Amino acid sequence: MSNVLSNEKRGMRELGAEKKVGWNEVTHGVVLHSFEDDAADIALRKAEDRKYSEFSSYTATVASWRVIKPVYNRDICIDCQNCWVWCPDSSIISRDKQILGIDYDHCKGCGVCVEVCPTNPKSLLMFGEALSSDDAIAQWPVKEKKEK
Amino acid sequence: MAEKIDLQEIEVWDGNYAAAQAMRQAQIDVVAAYPITPSTPIVEGYANFMADGYIDGEFVMVESEHAAMSGCVGAAAAGGRVATATSSQGFALMVEVLYQASGMRLPIVLNVANRALAAPLNVRGDHSDMYLGRDSGWVQIDAFNAQEVYDMNLCAFRVGEHHDIRLPVMVHQDGFVTSHTAQNVRPLSDDDAYKFIGEYKPMDELLDFSRPVTHGAQTEEDWHFEHKARQHKALMDARPVIESVFAEFEKVSGRKYKRVESYMIEDAEVIIVALGSTVESARLAAQQLRDEEGIKAGVVGPRVIRPFPFDAIRDALENCKAIGAMDRSCPGGALGMLFNEVSAAVYTTAKRPLVTNYIYGLGGRDLAIVDIKAIFRELKANADAGKITTQIQQFIGLRGPKLAFFETREGK
Amino acid sequence: MVEIRWHSRAGQGAVTGAKGLGDVVSTTGKQVQAFALYGSAKRGAAMQAYNRIDDEQIINHEKFMLPDFVLVIDPALAFTDNITDNDKSTTKYIVTTHLSKDELVAQIPALQDKKDRVFVLDCMQISLDTIGRAVPNAPMLGAFVKISGMFELDYFLDRMKKVLSKFPQKIIDSNMQAITRAYNEVK
Repeated sequence: MSNVLSNEKRGMRELGAEKKVGWNEVTHGVVLHSFEDDAADIALRKAEDRKYSEFSSYTATVASWRVIKPVYNRDICIDCQNCWVWCPDSSIISRDKQILGIDYDHCKGCGVCVEVCPTNPKSLLMFGEALSSDDAIAQWPVKEKKEK
Repeated sequence: MAEKIDLQEIEVWDGNYAAAQAMRQAQIDVVAAYPITPSTPIVEGYANFMADGYIDGEFVMVESEHAAMSGCVGAAAAGGRVATATSSQGFALMVEVLYQASGMRLPIVLNVANRALAAPLNVRGDHSDMYLGRDSGWVQIDAFNAQEVYDMNLCAFRVGEHHDIRLPVMVHQDGFVTSHTAQNVRPLSDDDAYKFIGEYKPMDELLDFSRPVTHGAQTEEDWHFEHKARQHKALMDARPVIESVFAEFEKVSGRKYKRVESYMIEDAEVIIVALGSTVESARLAAQQLRDEEGIKAGVVGPRVIRPFPFDAIRDALENCKAIGAMDRSCPGGALGMLFNEVSAAVYTTAKRPLVTNYIYGLGGRDLAIVDIKAIFRELKANADAGKITTQIQQFIGLRGPKLAFFETREGK
Repeated sequence: MVEIRWHSRAGQGAVTGAKGLGDVVSTTGKQVQAFALYGSAKRGAAMQAYNRIDDEQIINHEKFMLPDFVLVIDPALAFTDNITDNDKSTTKYIVTTHLSKDELVAQIPALQDKKDRVFVLDCMQISLDTIGRAVPNAPMLGAFVKISGMFELDYFLDRMKKVLSKFPQKIIDSNMQAITRAYNEVK
C-alpha cells in the first residue's frame, strides 16, 4: 500500500505536452490501448499494479491546472465514500472502503469533494495550492454548534 | 454450424441475389440493415439464408440507415465480420457514419445498388449515390454485371480485412440494370469461397478483454491531420493489395480483374470511360463500330473508383486521341466526376488526349447502343480535327433543346 | 441473339416467368439475361419483362430491343399496350385471350398484316383450371416452348421441375400440367 499515493507511473507527463509524432507514427484509426500488458485480470488489480499505457490519462498529469487544492483530514472522515463517488477525475484514493487521500496528479481542484462531504467540520477543505497539507490541518476549523 | 448449399456450376442470378449468396458464403457475424429499393433483396436474401439455417450470425433490424451503419460500426469495432446493403436516400442517410467507419479503420462491406437521389423521387439506377460516397474514405469497387457483383463481394472482404489496409469497402452495382437483371453466374463452392475469403482475423477488437481499447477518440488540430493523412495513405496503399487479391482470385476462379478494365485499347483512337453496366454496353457499341465503320474504338472502365486509379487510368488512356468521360450523375454545377478525374490524369501525359464529358442515364433513363455509337463518332471527329469540335459537357438522351456547356480554347 | 419481350401486369409473374425461362436456358449452355422495367409499380400496373438469349456472354444492357418474340400474358394488354413496338418482319406474337385468333386480330389493327405470326391461347383459363389461380406465366412458357421450338417439351418440363424444386409437390405438378396443356393448345 505504500506506493498507492506516490505511484511512479501516475502523472508522469503533462497532459497535452505529448511528443507530436508524424502521420507515420500515430495509431491507425485513433485506436488507443489502455494497458501495456495482458489485462484479462485488470478488474482484480489495483491502479498502482496496472501497466497503464501512454494513451491512458492515468499516466498524464493535470496538477498544474489547479490553483486551490482539497486537503483531506483523516481524523474527521467517516469513510462514507461520497467524495470518491462524486469526484469527476477519480482523484480520491480509496482502498477497501477506506479513504487514503487525494491523487494530486489528476485533481484539478474543482472542490466537488468538499461540497459533498457530510461531516462537521468537513473532512475535505480547499486551501491555497502553496500551503502545505500539515499547515492546512493545523488551521482546521472546529465543529460548528447548531443554533437552537 | 451453418448448413451448406450445393450450388450449380452455372446459376442464373441477378446482382442482388449474387451479393446475398456471396455474403452467405462469407459467413458474416453481423448484418445490421434497413432495406431500401433496389438493394432490398440483398439483405432480404441474407435474412432468408439465416432463417433457413445457412448462416451463423446476427441480423440486426434497426430504425434507419444511419442506425444500420452505426450498428455495423459497433459490430466491426467489437471484432466481427460485418456487411450490409443500401441505395440512394438510405446511402445518403448513412453518409455521416461512412466517415466514422473509414476513420476508425473498420473493414465493413457495403453493397450499394446504385440509384438516383431525390428530388424528384426516383427508384431507378444512376450513380448519384456512388458519387456521394467518393470522399468518404472507403474503397469503392464497381461491378459491371451480376457475376462481378458476386466476385467483387468475395474480394471486398479480403481487401478490407487485410491488416495493412483495414478499411471499409463498397461494392457497387447498377440499380435494376444489374441488381434486378438475372444472368449466368458461375459461383465458387461454399468451401472454396470461404477458403478464399478466409477466417476473419480481428484487430484491436473491443471484445478482447485482455487488451482493452478505445475506439473513436477525439483529435483536434494537433492530431487530426496526421490521422487523416495516415488513413489516406492506407487507402492509397490498398492499390497493390487489391491487385494481389485479384491475382489470387484469378487462381481460384479463372476470372481476371484489374483496377482499371480496358477493352480494345491497344490501337484505339477514341475511348469511352464509363462505370457500371455502361462499360459492357459501350464494349458492344465499340465492337460494332469497328466492324461496321472502321472506327478504332475502345472502352475503359475503372473497376476501382477509390482509391482512384490515377496511375492505371493514365496508362490506359495516354496513347489515344479523344476520350469521352461518361457521368451518370447530375454534376451539380460542375463537370462530371469522371471527366474531372480522367482529365487530371491524362493532363500529366505527353500527348494530352482531348477529353469531353457526357451526362447520361439519370434516374434510369435508358442508354441505347445507338446513343453510345453517336458518342464514339463525335470522339472520332474530335480526333480527326485535333481539337474538341463540340461543347465540352453534353447531355445524352435528354428531351428539349440541346443542353451543353463550355467551349474549348485550343486554337488548333 | 434471341430477344423476348413480355407484356404483363405487375403480379402476374412475368418476371418469374422470364427468370424461370432463363434458368432453363442456362442449362443448355447458353447465356441468358432476364430483366424487367418495374420498381415502384403497383400490382396490376402494366409492365414489361425481357429476355435475351445468346451463345456469347451478353454485354448489352440497353432496355431497347427488337424482339423476336412478344409474349402477352394479360388479355387486355393486347389492346392497350403497343405490343408491336420495335418489331421485326419475323417477330412472333403469343397472346393470351379467350378469343379465337381471327376474332383477336380483327380487333387489333396493328396485328392485321402479321396474322401468320400471331399465336393465341387462354393462359388465364389454363392456369385457373390447373393451378387454381390466375397466374398466366407458366402456361405462356409452355406456349413459348411450342412456338419457338427451342426445347423438347419433356426436356423443358424436367428442367422446370428443378427450378421449382423449393415448392410443394402439388404446386410443381399443377405447373407441369399448365405448361403441358398450353403447349398442346396454343395455335
